[in-house]
Amino acid sequence: MEQKQTSVVKTPRNSDGAQRSSYRQSYRSYVGAVSRLGLTSALTARRLNTSRRAPRAHNITDKVSPEHLAVLVKKEWQLSYVTPLFQFRHTQLKRYSQQLSAFIAAERQGVAVEVEEPQHSFKASFSVVHGMAEAEEDAETILIQVHSKHHFSRRDDPEKCVWSGWLACINGSPEYIRSLPKDFICLPLFGSSGGDPLTSSVKSWFQQTFDCCFGSLEINHTSLQWLGSLWTNCQPESNIQHLKMIWAVPVVPPLQITYTVNPQDAWELWTCVRKDAQVEKEGEEEEEEEEEGIIDIEEVNMFMQELKSHFYRHFKLDLSAGNLVQVSTALGSAKTSGRIKISNSRYMISTLTLLTECALLKMPV
Amino acid sequence: MGDTPRRLLQRLIRRIPAQELKPTLEKWGRLSQAQLQTIDFTQSKWALTGKLGTICEERNWAVKHITELELIYVIDNPNLGMWHTFQLMDPRDNAHTVELLQFKEQFKSNLSELIRNVSVKIKKHTDEAVWIRIAWGDGLSQPNHFKPTYVVHYLQTPYVFVTSLNSKQKPLLSQALVLATSYHAIKDANLSGRKFTAIRDLLMRQYEQVFPRKFHSPLKERNQIVTDPHIEREQAESSANRLQMACEAFGGGKLPQLQSAVYKLETKFRGHNKSMTQREEPIRCVVKFASTNILESLRNCASSGIASTPVTPLLSSIPLKGRNYFVITDNGPGPSQTRQQN
Repeated sequence: MEQKQTSVVKTPRNSDGAQRSSYRQSYRSYVGAVSRLGLTSALTARRLNTSRRAPRAHNITDKVSPEHLAVLVKKEWQLSYVTPLFQFRHTQLKRYSQQLSAFIAAERQGVAVEVEEPQHSFKASFSVVHGMAEAEEDAETILIQVHSKHHFSRRDDPEKCVWSGWLACINGSPEYIRSLPKDFICLPLFGSSGGDPLTSSVKSWFQQTFDCCFGSLEINHTSLQWLGSLWTNCQPESNIQHLKMIWAVPVVPPLQITYTVNPQDAWELWTCVRKDAQVEKEGEEEEEEEEEGIIDIEEVNMFMQELKSHFYRHFKLDLSAGNLVQVSTALGSAKTSGRIKISNSRYMISTLTLLTECALLKMPV
Repeated sequence: MGDTPRRLLQRLIRRIPAQELKPTLEKWGRLSQAQLQTIDFTQSKWALTGKLGTICEERNWAVKHITELELIYVIDNPNLGMWHTFQLMDPRDNAHTVELLQFKEQFKSNLSELIRNVSVKIKKHTDEAVWIRIAWGDGLSQPNHFKPTYVVHYLQTPYVFVTSLNSKQKPLLSQALVLATSYHAIKDANLSGRKFTAIRDLLMRQYEQVFPRKFHSPLKERNQIVTDPHIEREQAESSANRLQMACEAFGGGKLPQLQSAVYKLETKFRGHNKSMTQREEPIRCVVKFASTNILESLRNCASSGIASTPVTPLLSSIPLKGRNYFVITDNGPGPSQTRQQN
């Protein structure tokens, strides 16, 4: 059976309407046709979204508890993608906590350890972070923390959290989630912060228990550009303080170029670029669509291109010759190695939406 | 031996790497050969500190002797942190004839007048550099020998290099320097870095430079790989031209190890977007180049084509003017004209 490749950007099925709406229509009908034939691996034909909703400030403090937010925000996470988890139940978290604690203890000592024993020096705890799931199909975010108690500390000494991680699915592609067989939960984005031995122990436990697979999630330059533009778009509501981009130029010895733009100027450039892009689009189509909050990839590319041109006219150095390795603003920072930091909880959902998409795309399923 | 000299000695011995200890002590010259022989340099540092401490006590040495030793060590190993460069301005008539003794006396007396309780040690190095170690105190406390400021001045040049100076001490040092060297003023030279030898070489042009010659003949590659004479490189001429221009801009051989350059840009938008280019206000951004040796990296960028040649004056100003901090506005130095690349 031949797999049809749709180029979701170029050929709109309908002659009228913007590219974006036809993208959605063609995609849906395509997947609908294929899923009727029982093929779920059609998702390899997906591409990174060419248009996104502009990030709205979510009053997430209303929905998510402040303790959870405090754990998630302002810490740098190393990202991985996770394939769907088999028979993971949100109701079994206490059992999972005990099992994971025992597993970590066993890994450290090299012998089998009883699960119920309360004397482990490392204690894992699972909890559900309510309020983060956006779409209907999204599974609730899970937070995992490992606390350690030193042998010599007294009973009532506070335990120190030595490792934390989370599994999330924010605005995950609904078709994909629906296409999964029963008993599989989709939580494709995994963030970890803490020592490597604990991270690999936790991953091994998950792999053993839920038959899933972890892989490193690098953030490619398109996603970094998206994040930079989405964050710049938030400037009028919350001051991003600067738009900082770091390029690595492959010369000997390697050169790192940090390009920091004043937030107000970045915002003005962004609005000018968007205005021009809208004007161009309005010239092409007959109907006007009222989709205010949508940002297209052409706008993102143009924005970055303008910044690079400004740089080129001064230094005669073409930044495209290097790799974009980091983008950061006051709202957060993202590195190409897969490290992300969300500094402001208001835009957390949008950032995680983009990252969930990256994780879903990177998964080899 | 008092507490301060003992602690100073201890810290110093800990700082000096084991293999440097004997040569440094020999350079110091205060210990006779016989005494040096008695010291077993394979002992632990703790034991060595004890041994040297006893010798110092026997000879009744004080802080000033230990600081002498420290200065000798620092002269050979000047990578203490960030070095900043200053330039003396508006020489008086006799500025060019200031010589060492005069400078030493004037500087010490000036500084002592400006602030009580300051300890100054001056030493002239073989390469015409005058090294000054200043331990600052104030009216109430003794000089703090654990956080000294180091100053290097090359007589007959207007350059001064300083490290570990805080903002309160800066005006005092500036005043003393200006008076001692017979200049009128001193200003920031906008060059800083961690490697002292690098910024010194850059500023005083003590590295291999390539001067543009009237009749171009492209530079030959240093290591010519012998290949089949029938193989022709398509772009041989243009890559040789790029190499020539890169070397003209930055220098020929080994380049001083400057680690970063910062440009603060406040210029009108230079992209393609029409509404932005019509905007009157400048775009503010800061660009920082960082590498283990940015001059080599930039030269490599130019010769490999990542940076277009001829090299823009913004980048070639780093070696030309000996600075690594620039503020570029539309009125000032900058790319106000576009260059057509061929």
